Amino acid sequence: MRYAILITALLGMSSSACLANALISPGPHAAIAQSRLSATPDGEWNRLSRRDGKNVELWTLDGDALNKVTFFGGIPVGRPLLREVDKKNRPLPKVTSNMLITDIPALLESTYRSQFAVNQLQIETQEPALLDGNKGIRFTYAFARADDEVLRKGEGIGAIVGGQLYLVTYEAPSLYFFDKDLEKFHRLIATLKL
Amino acid sequence: MRLNFVVRASLLACSLCISVAAAAQEKTGNKEGFALKPGTVRIMLMRPVIQVGAQSTGGMYEPNADWTEQARNYIAASLQDAQSQLGNEVTGYSEAASGEGPAVTQYSHLFSTVADSVIEYQFFAGNRLPTKKRDKRFDWAVGPGIASLKSLEGADYALFITTHDEYGSTGRKVLQIFAAMGGVSVTSGVHVGHAGLVDLKTGELVWLNADRQMGGDVRTPEGAQKRVKQLLEGFPGKPVEAAAVAGK
Repeated sequence: MRYAILITALLGMSSSACLANALISPGPHAAIAQSRLSATPDGEWNRLSRRDGKNVELWTLDGDALNKVTFFGGIPVGRPLLREVDKKNRPLPKVTSNMLITDIPALLESTYRSQFAVNQLQIETQEPALLDGNKGIRFTYAFARADDEVLRKGEGIGAIVGGQLYLVTYEAPSLYFFDKDLEKFHRLIATLKL
Repeated sequence: MRLNFVVRASLLACSLCISVAAAAQEKTGNKEGFALKPGTVRIMLMRPVIQVGAQSTGGMYEPNADWTEQARNYIAASLQDAQSQLGNEVTGYSEAASGEGPAVTQYSHLFSTVADSVIEYQFFAGNRLPTKKRDKRFDWAVGPGIASLKSLEGADYALFITTHDEYGSTGRKVLQIFAAMGGVSVTSGVHVGHAGLVDLKTGELVWLNADRQMGGDVRTPEGAQKRVKQLLEGFPGKPVEAAAVAGK
């Protein structure tokens, strides 16, 4: 029995907790965030083994604190954007059936306030946009998390398709990092398919 | 029985992963080819970012103003003693009339975030990013924009120092004991420290010493001294270090 536990533990180490981050090579990538979302990056990215939710996938170039692309792939009605870490004291807002496209930035904002102790988040611009031909919204924002106090900028494109929320965001520190990789993000979201 | 088996196997897997991670972790890195000779450059010692607090039973950070104040004073005194032994001219940062205080503070926070990313994605080999894994270079920066700060004019490098300490509350320590009795590993206390040199012409991080398990209780003069010694271990251009490099 002891040997069986040890072998299972070692197998677990190689397959779950010790899962390595994966290389995203240029070319088509389907089923992003375990959804119908796909993209065709023209350069390399890293996909983090960490998942912040069932339908959430993180891509980065230098680490998620320095540049992070988050794919929210088809979040259904009744579910929050991220996995709730403290349901009792810090519940997250949920996707609702009567949600409008224009509610997407506010959903992200209230999610961040609860999950990351973000005290200040400003939605700076919002404009209509198409996400693979679906009516959506493109918006920019700025915020600082209480834990590291780094001022960050973000940009997102989202749409509600078939009652599910699709949202892709890019976030990085305002100093140096945001501008460094913004063009790569723009080229990436231009290839999004649903 | 089946559930028990799965739970025990999972716990063992987690603890093995944690111990492998701890054993595999590096603590120092520097840009390829970077070296400093004593007496050749001017270094600006940036205002250290120091946070001290308690860790609640649930693991949350609770800032403590008194501890932070104590640590600031003790670390400042220890740094003052240490800076004359670093081999190069080190001066403390002064905002003067530049009005660049908020911008410089942002660079300190950014440095801390970059340093933590180095720990997470470079020092811990098992978690390296595939795009950075192929070449083993140390390629990190806070960006060339730092070169335009007037208050840093005249210096060649900036030395950033950040520490973040969370001392386990009684509840956390009790939880740790009970968890250990149940065979589960629960940590009590967080002691993170970063010391890094940034090239003020390019914004590149050329040397970093960083660890998430630093020693020294920063709330005491002796502990702060130990912490500063640990932070500046292997500092480039330090006479003892330079002699050791030359002797190799």
